Amino acid sequence: MIHLLQIDISKAVNEVENAGSYLPIAIQLLLVVGLIGLMLLASHKLGPKRNTSDKLEGFACGIESHGDARKPMAIKYFLVAVLFVLFDVEVIFFYPYALSFKQLGWDGFWAVMMFVGFFLCGFIYIIKKGALQWED
Amino acid sequence: MKEFLLVILVAPFVGFLINGLFRNVLSKKIIAFNACGQILISFLFSLVVFSTILESGGAIFEYYNFIKVGSFQIPFALQIDQLSSIFLLIITGVGFLIHVYSASYMKEESSAHFGRYFSYLNLFIFFMLLLVLGANFVIMFIGWEGVGLCSYLLIGYWFKNTEYNYAARKAFVMNRIGDLGFLIAIFWLIAKLDTTSFSIIFSNESLAKLSTLDITAITLLLFVGATGKSAQIPLYTWLPDAMAGPTPVSALIHAATMVTAGVYLVARCNVLYSLAPITQTIIVCIGLATAILAATIALKQNDIKKILAYSTVSQLGFMFFALGLGAYTAAVFHVITHAFFKALLFLGSGSVIHAMGGEQDIRKMGGLSKKLKITYWTFFIGCLAIAGIPPFSGFFSKDAILVSAFAKSPALYFMVLLGALLTAFYMFRLLFITFSGSFRGTKEQQQHLHESPAVMTLPLIILAILSLVAGVIGIPDVLLNGGDKLSEFLSPIIFVNNEHQLSHSTEYLLMGLSTILIIGVIVVAWVLFKKYKTTETVGIGKFFENKWYVDELYNKTIVNSINKLAKICNDIIEKSGIDAVVNGVGRLVHYGSRQLRLLQSGQVGNYILVMVLCMVLVFSFQFIFKK
Amino acid sequence: MNALIVTAVLGVMMMFSSIVLKRNSAIRMLAIVGLLFTFIANVLDSSGVHFFSINIKGMMHFDQFAYFFISISIFCTFIFFLLSAKEMERIGVNYSEYFALIFFILCGIILVASFTSLLILFLGIEIISIPLYILTGSDKKNLKSNEASLKYFLLGAFSTGIMLMGIALFYGSTGSFSVENSVVIAATTSPMLLIGILLLLFSMSFKVSAAPFHFWAPDVYDGAPTVFTSFMATIVKAAAFIAFIRLFSLAFTPLQDRWQLIVAVIIALTLFVGNITAVFQQSVKRMLAYSSIAQSGFMLMALLAFNTFSVEGILLYIVAYSISTMGIFSVLVKMKDSSLEEFNGFAKHQPVLAVALTVFLLSLAGIPLTAGFLSKFYMLKAVMHSGNFLWLIIFAVLMAAVSVYYYFRIIQVMFFKESDSNTIIVSTSFKWLLSALAIIIIVLGVYPQLLLQFLV
Repeated sequence: MIHLLQIDISKAVNEVENAGSYLPIAIQLLLVVGLIGLMLLASHKLGPKRNTSDKLEGFACGIESHGDARKPMAIKYFLVAVLFVLFDVEVIFFYPYALSFKQLGWDGFWAVMMFVGFFLCGFIYIIKKGALQWED
Repeated sequence: MKEFLLVILVAPFVGFLINGLFRNVLSKKIIAFNACGQILISFLFSLVVFSTILESGGAIFEYYNFIKVGSFQIPFALQIDQLSSIFLLIITGVGFLIHVYSASYMKEESSAHFGRYFSYLNLFIFFMLLLVLGANFVIMFIGWEGVGLCSYLLIGYWFKNTEYNYAARKAFVMNRIGDLGFLIAIFWLIAKLDTTSFSIIFSNESLAKLSTLDITAITLLLFVGATGKSAQIPLYTWLPDAMAGPTPVSALIHAATMVTAGVYLVARCNVLYSLAPITQTIIVCIGLATAILAATIALKQNDIKKILAYSTVSQLGFMFFALGLGAYTAAVFHVITHAFFKALLFLGSGSVIHAMGGEQDIRKMGGLSKKLKITYWTFFIGCLAIAGIPPFSGFFSKDAILVSAFAKSPALYFMVLLGALLTAFYMFRLLFITFSGSFRGTKEQQQHLHESPAVMTLPLIILAILSLVAGVIGIPDVLLNGGDKLSEFLSPIIFVNNEHQLSHSTEYLLMGLSTILIIGVIVVAWVLFKKYKTTETVGIGKFFENKWYVDELYNKTIVNSINKLAKICNDIIEKSGIDAVVNGVGRLVHYGSRQLRLLQSGQVGNYILVMVLCMVLVFSFQFIFKK
Repeated sequence: MNALIVTAVLGVMMMFSSIVLKRNSAIRMLAIVGLLFTFIANVLDSSGVHFFSINIKGMMHFDQFAYFFISISIFCTFIFFLLSAKEMERIGVNYSEYFALIFFILCGIILVASFTSLLILFLGIEIISIPLYILTGSDKKNLKSNEASLKYFLLGAFSTGIMLMGIALFYGSTGSFSVENSVVIAATTSPMLLIGILLLLFSMSFKVSAAPFHFWAPDVYDGAPTVFTSFMATIVKAAAFIAFIRLFSLAFTPLQDRWQLIVAVIIALTLFVGNITAVFQQSVKRMLAYSSIAQSGFMLMALLAFNTFSVEGILLYIVAYSISTMGIFSVLVKMKDSSLEEFNGFAKHQPVLAVALTVFLLSLAGIPLTAGFLSKFYMLKAVMHSGNFLWLIIFAVLMAAVSVYYYFRIIQVMFFKESDSNTIIVSTSFKWLLSALAIIIIVLGVYPQLLLQFLV
């Protein structure tokens, strides 16, 4: 019988049931939304507006634009982008782990190692399949 | 014994399967050996069973539950008792002889057809055994239908001849008419008694539950079934046509066994019939009418097998006459003796036809006695037996019928005696025209004339001996005290009515009278037909020759009107009614399919729209209409 | 639990197998052996030998029914591999990945067969769906396959959205993801809960392709490579049914009278649309797609009546339907195209296959002495026992009569039409296998207890 590694989350989290504990977050949310809204509104209202035909044209690093934006391009761009997102998201999972690193102890460590191991498998698969090879 | 019965039943079926499935592979020898062997096994086991019955009486064996619906159930049960054991012996014994005879008679056939023939024949024996062994009406009915089927298949055995196919079809349809009556009777019994088992139905408690009307109706309906199978007025016309089949088939099915199934049915239900005087009267009338009508027709027929066929119808009429009088034992006795001598006569005619190269018209025969010695003598014994000359078996059985008729009323006696005289006349007419005088056929036929091989004559001899001696089982008390073994044997099944005991002197007188008259008739026949010449028949003779125009009558009245009705049904109800509806449904489905198909537009947007609309519909139904 | 972990690991192994193993036959062998091992692991699991100990926090529960169904799906997948694994080679180069995806789907199937939490249900459904989107589009050069994949994805995403909304409403009104009657009873009066249940009903109806949420099925089944259609239309669909029935029988029975009529109407609509539309189809593949819609109408009857007949019936139905449909598809895969004319005179060239196909078609049409008849009979009997849906039974029988038309059309074409002499080439083992399947169908049609005895 193999014991698969798991963590007991309750060690890290206590008193989540209380809605009052979410108040700071709510305040922060309000502040963030309010500030961003205020800034956008201010720049929109205060900034001078002089529309010329050159300005309304699509801007591409100062180079004159030509053709349609929806041109077919190599699938590799998308592939790399998707893979990037995938592994980027992986990192996000480390933040909560970092916060409760001490409390979770060795069990938590091995559990996260397993998680990383899965991703490593995926990474090796991608490399072996040649998904990251830029040139054929 | 339970297993023995199963062996008796299954052996012919195994033979049927082997011959039927491998008819293209097996050689004719193996086929014949297999078919005869299986029947022999059946016969031997039947002998064992019969000896057990002699000692310990009958029994009923249940094998498994055949049909079970609620409280109503029909077991697959076999009943062996005195009555069925007699039939068992006749079926397997005579059946075996005829199988052996067939092996030679049919040897010209190709091996595949040979196999087909024997598989049918074995199947017939199987169903016939099922018929007599069944312990309830349903099992019996299965056998009843099965023999009908085999009869159909064998009549139409030479299926390339359209006439024969029509004959087969006619036999089947006529039988079906009778079967309908049988079926209704079974349903009636189920409705009233909730069972079909003989042992329960014939018990006193059950009989008490039936009103007189029930009994009369049930017995009449059963008799309708019997008229179909046993070729009585008005359903007899199929039997002469059934002669289209090979001659051994006629001997086995249409003389010795299947056609006596009706007699068996009535004898089996004798308890019921004894309680239904109206039915009995009807049976007497129909039996007598059939006996005389068929005899008159037989007088003027020229086809050897047709004469025998009408003779069979006539003899069956005698049997039913006896049944109607309540002389069940006499009827069964006549079944036994008739099985022997009629099988003998048919096989003999087969031998003649064989010798004549397929010729069946007796006007083209004559003087055959010199060439076909064995056939002639055995045939002669058969004629003596059927005519009722002492001490041949037919004498005793016919005498039993005549005596019971006289006990009822002298008028009946004289009428049935007339029938017996006609029998003697047409049989000896047949005998003399065929075997004496000079040969009237073609040259080639004359050269072709020969006695049949031993395989064919041996059954003839055995049957001739049996026809001679079979009477001993029923010698009346007058001649030999305690001689009537048959009534004694059957007494547990058939209640013997001793009310009208005739004085000994009367019985002697009756026997003497009938014997003298019959001998007289034979002499007349000898004088008339010793040197036969073909002449045109006129007047009443022509009427007889054309079989009383019954077939024409049926055609004009029943067949034509049914055809007309069928045409109306076909044109109006079928074409513009049922067909229109059926095709309409099909067309509607097709139309719907074509329209529904369009819903599948291929546009994802449309799909989602429909889904969302349906969801909205459900929600509105749930929250607006339901509250 | 054994099977779940094993399939997941096997899925990963299959992914890497293309790197390690060079020959397709070796990959195929690995998949078949792996599947056999999964089957054994599951059987052992059901008899008390657990390989792993995991605290699943009550989110899953493996009962006898779940084990049995998992065994059935693994067995059917096994048959699928034997029948059609070779044909997958023709679709594209990523041979081992197809197997990996199928193993992942099996993983999802095990989840939906044993969930007791809506989260696991959602997870399972997604694990099933996403590999299917890929498999549908696996024939990359074929525009129809691409189109089908995209359509499937769009509509699937739509239904996933509905399902999530349903789960959210459920959680909102009950405060629990747990699939239990008690949870529902505590909040019966809440309209939010009812809406949640209905949304779940819709999304699950989508997954089992019940009308009017069936639109994806014909297009996707038709467009997808035939090999994968046969997998999708049988094993995956059966799993969706089990999930559907599990969800509603475990949790939503207290509100039965609010959704039962809707289910009955959905069944009637499904039967009608599936059967009637199938009549006019000229392509056997598309006809089978509609037939699978029609068959789900019958299978949905288990949802109307929760009793022993329905439990036995749905399992028998799944086996009978899956085996028959896979059998027909396995022959269809070998044909040049899927038009009806391809079957002309089939009986002359391949008498054994033609007879086996006839048995399958008879079973699908519900002719007595086949498993298809008994399973239909069980379903109707289950509904009969639950009472008050007599009209549905009559309607279902009528529709079954319609179905005879299009199934027999294939039989008629096979036996009574002259062929244009293009034959398919099949191996002897394939013939043996197909005959064995036909025999299973007949044996189960005579003696269903052979299968159902394991259910005790």
